[in-house]
Amino acid sequence: MDDIEATILKNRNIVSDYYLLKLRLSKPIGKVLPGQFVMLKVPGNEVFLRRPFSVYDHDKNSLTLMYRVVGKGTRVLSNIKKNERTLVLGPLGNAFNVKRADKHIVVAGGIGIAGVHTLIKKLGKKAHIFFGCNTREELPLIADILEFNPMVATLDGSIGFAGNVIELLQGRIEPMMGKDTMIYACGPDGMVKSLRKMLEKHRTPCQVLVEERMACGLGLCFGCVIRTTDDAEPYKRVCKEGPVFDLWKISL
Amino acid sequence: MENLAIKLFGKTLRNPVMNASGTLGYGKEIEPLWGIETLGAYVTKGLSAKPHHGNPTPRVWEEGNGMINSIGLQNIGVERFFDEYFPYFKKRNAHIIVNFFGFTEEEYFACAEKIRPDPLIVALEMNLSCPNIKMGGISFGKEPNMVFEIVKHVKAITNIPLIIKLTPEVKNIVDVARAACEGGANGLTLINTMPAAVVDIKSRCIPLKGGLSGPILKPIALRAVHECSKAVSVPIVGVGGIMNTEDALSFFMAGASAIQIGTATFLDPYVIPKIIRGISRYIDEHKLSRIDDVVGIARE
Repeated sequence: MDDIEATILKNRNIVSDYYLLKLRLSKPIGKVLPGQFVMLKVPGNEVFLRRPFSVYDHDKNSLTLMYRVVGKGTRVLSNIKKNERTLVLGPLGNAFNVKRADKHIVVAGGIGIAGVHTLIKKLGKKAHIFFGCNTREELPLIADILEFNPMVATLDGSIGFAGNVIELLQGRIEPMMGKDTMIYACGPDGMVKSLRKMLEKHRTPCQVLVEERMACGLGLCFGCVIRTTDDAEPYKRVCKEGPVFDLWKISL
Repeated sequence: MENLAIKLFGKTLRNPVMNASGTLGYGKEIEPLWGIETLGAYVTKGLSAKPHHGNPTPRVWEEGNGMINSIGLQNIGVERFFDEYFPYFKKRNAHIIVNFFGFTEEEYFACAEKIRPDPLIVALEMNLSCPNIKMGGISFGKEPNMVFEIVKHVKAITNIPLIIKLTPEVKNIVDVARAACEGGANGLTLINTMPAAVVDIKSRCIPLKGGLSGPILKPIALRAVHECSKAVSVPIVGVGGIMNTEDALSFFMAGASAIQIGTATFLDPYVIPKIIRGISRYIDEHKLSRIDDVVGIARE
């Protein structure tokens, strides 16, 4: 892990408020595990703190982040032009725990796909992928994982299953359930809550990647906590003990 | 960088640069990037006699050229800190300053009592910005007489040098500084974060109230350091919005004997070693023998 100088190679609008940012790194970032993230400095003086982003893709000398404009930081970032210079601190946080013998189910909602993208690439065709979004216009978000046959749910029913991704999963999960099934999830709070309700009966093992406002990304400030079932020390740092948590150990 | 060493309460610190309490975790977290012994002294996260869970989120909010935090003093308690983390500082031969707090006078006493003197403990740093729950929630650090009383009582409990960290939200910080020294304070840390709030106009709510930090605080801190350094004779640790070597030098010239760096570490995790090197370079370039040569030299 280190703070690495980087140059913006492209910052492309994918669809609506979704963007893909590709950075050239001045030195290799090293091994990045699925679920890990980086703290990115938004070039310029408008944004004070760094912003956390899941690693969407990477190779030896480049790093790709997928983001959605949700506030000031990402709005400013979306206007950053090619060739601007910046810094990325990473890789940070604890990764998904992927065991060989598992049956893998990956569930992503909207920009949650950015958090599980490297996991999907790693699991390849071994994973059953479920992706939910608002409308067919947003399908470019999964353009480069189509080869892994993701099941798609759209809220407006314009393509795939009409409804949310958990409803879609509900109808398909039964035959995939075994004693070594592992579910990996990343998406909006509502999605994670519905998923938990659905899995409550068997308490199927599930790892969820969460997000929270962060300041340091290194576990220094205790700003980005999530409430867990640990009564002695309920608040765990998303950046340090997370961002991947056991679904059954967090309070939603 | 031998030119950086300073004497503080009879101990020789490698340099006059510390982290601000609560901005460097329990110390170990920075290890992948640089060694904790880089610091003149590591200032602990605020510790209390009993563990505290802290506040729900949001705990941090960016606000212009600064940030607001409301961590709620989450900590594992002073005993666990000494069991689990202090051996690490021992192994690295790294000096520490133990920041502590309480919500009643008794909690301050209980915490101070649990800290045994050690060659690596430079001082205790008492956070007086907490609400006194037995006095309707007014912070201990607001009134000179309350500051005098609690400092006097804590001094009677511990032999470890005692630094008092003051809140800037007072009528006259010089009066509070004097009261702390009359109570027996061995040093002052100036200043803590400034109470602040944000309003989210979309949801029409106040997502958090907390302490404002960052460069926005620097001029306020510099004034407090300067005025208090003229009024009292104990060493002053300056803190508030230091982002680079120039800021650090401003604090020395205003009257600080040592400095602390907080929020800047979140923007650049290497800023502390960079500032340490920067100060050393300044000493060389200006042919000083030590940083003390510029402490308090700024004239009005």
